[in-house]
Parts: sequence; structure tokens; C-alpha cells
Amino acid sequence: MAAPRIACIGVIGKADNPLHIELFPPYSDSMIEFSFLLNSCLDIFDIRQKQTSIDQDLGLLHAIDERLAAYGWLTTTRVKLLIIVDLFGTETAMSAGSAVSGIKEADLKPAFRALQTAYIQLLQNPFYSPDDHAPTSGSTVGSASSCQQVLNPRFIAAVKRVGEAWTPGAIL
Amino acid sequence: MSTQKASRIGEEIWKTRIDKVNAELVTLTYGTIVAQLCQDYDSNYQEVNKQLDKMGYNIGMRLIEDFLAKSGVGRCANFRETADMIAKVGFKIFLNVAPTVTNWTSDNNQFSLIFDDNPLADFVELPDDGRAQDELWFSNILCGVLRGALEMVQMQIEAHFVSDVLRGDDTTEMRVSLVRYIEDEMPPEDD
Repeated sequence: MAAPRIACIGVIGKADNPLHIELFPPYSDSMIEFSFLLNSCLDIFDIRQKQTSIDQDLGLLHAIDERLAAYGWLTTTRVKLLIIVDLFGTETAMSAGSAVSGIKEADLKPAFRALQTAYIQLLQNPFYSPDDHAPTSGSTVGSASSCQQVLNPRFIAAVKRVGEAWTPGAIL
Repeated sequence: MSTQKASRIGEEIWKTRIDKVNAELVTLTYGTIVAQLCQDYDSNYQEVNKQLDKMGYNIGMRLIEDFLAKSGVGRCANFRETADMIAKVGFKIFLNVAPTVTNWTSDNNQFSLIFDDNPLADFVELPDDGRAQDELWFSNILCGVLRGALEMVQMQIEAHFVSDVLRGDDTTEMRVSLVRYIEDEMPPEDD
């Protein structure tokens, strides 16, 4: 039985502007599909925030199909971390049906923590200016997607590392 | 005075006589200053280096007084002793690092300080504009501090960085050279 893997990591800013989206094989070319998925997850963030006062760890947001499931994490500053997990894993992508029934929500905690640490590292770099990555006030929602994504190599490498190294129970 | 003795003095003062502040406060404050200078001078990094050096000079001129009061050390017999004093006492009590003194020239007038750890540069990544890596000396304020401090104790020196881990070098190294001992000069006459 193949271990679940991370298919996609999204770091979304306060104004729902994408800061960084990283895809992992075999999904590396499915940018549009995953953008849609991440977008739909943002709505769930909104709904959950209205309903209850929530913890940072939102756990499972929704199970997209039998294969993909989205998990979310919301920092106090409203930066959203999203992880889409591929329950089949990469190794046995052909032999469908061998998926594990699910993963424990706690399994993703280390991954979210590692992502948050990477984001904090990014913010502490004096040459990183968060304002460059936020849509300017007064701009419409439509232009939010046009604002700049994070290009910092160390941050991108950290996100990549989390996505590649994570398996349930792994220490990151 | 030997290097070990200087280390002991530095250690002792650091433990007993120094008020500590949060390291992130220092790092983020300094980082912001440099980033702001880069912005104000439109990424003219030579100018930023110069400004940092000037700020350091002004700090050093004042800091030496504090240093002498806290450490209570007397006059150094030679420049080698001065180097140990800077590295093992000065840097220790103000930044809690103790750079290695090395690469002396044969006339004992030039040495290098190798920083294993540089609290000013934690978290920092230089801007990725293709020039900062070659032109900006992020911690250049330290050169100015040394210049200012030593000038107050009758030593004219020249200090500059020759490598920095932030630029991708293996070590962070500052080169310090003694220009001359300043003799007591007559104050300039009033016109």
C-alpha cells in the first residue's frame, strides 16, 4: 500500500492573493486544476471563519474525490496554508484501489508547522517586503491574482522540501 | 595579555555586567535600517556601505567610553593585544560573539577577524538583483564602529569586509589595518 503524498501546497495571503503555489509529481503540470481547487478551499475558509471562532488548524476542508483531500491552516494574520494530499501516493498511481482509507489530521500538523516556520523565516528577512505581495488597496478582486508571488529561493526550497519529505508520521 | 585572558575577561563581563536585549530586536532593527538605506539610496550599494560605516563611526566614538568603563582594561601594549581586546572582549560584551583573530601580516599591523556567527545577519538574504551580492557589505556598520572606537584611543585604523557568508562566501572576514598611532595634536587654532 502506497503512502499518501502531498500533491500541492498553496500559501495564500491575507487578501486571498496567492503568494506561492507548489505542485508535486505527478501533478506538476496541473496548475489550472489546482488553482481551482485552492480557490474553492478559500471559500471554505471564509465559511468556517464565520461559523465559529476557529483554531489555527482547520483540519480537513473537503475531500475532493476518493483520491485528493484538502487540508487547511490559518495563521492569526490570516495567511492561509493549504495542503492537498494525494491519498494514493505516487508509487502505485496505476494500481487504483489500494488507497488508504484516510490519514489522521494530526499527521499533517508537522507539515503545516514546517510551512509556517518557512513563512516566518521569509518575513524576518529585512529585504522581503510583504507590501509588495499584497494587492494595493482599492484594486478589485479580479486584479488580486495579478499581484506578485514570492520568488525567494530559500522559501521556495523550504516549501518543496516539505512537500517531498512529508509522509504520515514523518518528522520534518 | 594573552588571548585566553582576554576571553576570560570578556566572558566574565558578559555574564555579570551587561544588560541583555532580545536578539531578534537587534537583528530586525538593523536589518530594517539597511533595507531602508538601500531603498533611500536607490540601491546604490556603495553609498549604503558608506552610510553604514559612518553610522558605525558615530556609534564607535561613543561606545568606546562605555567599553572602557565596563571592562576596566588599561592601555594595550601593542596592536596584537588590541586585536584580542576587540575580538574577545569588545565583540563579546556587545554582540556576544568572539571572532577569531588571524592572518597577521609580518609587521603586526594588519589582521583579520573571522566571524563564525554574526547576529546582525540572522535571517538575512541579500536582494536578488544581481548587484547586491557583489556590492553590498551588509554588516558594514561594524567596520565603522571599530574605526570610531579606536580613533578615540589614538589609533587610526582602516577596516573593511573582504568576504561575507551572505554573499555565498565560506566565511565572514573583516580586514583591519593600523594606519598610525595618533600623537597628541595641538587643537586647531581659532581664526
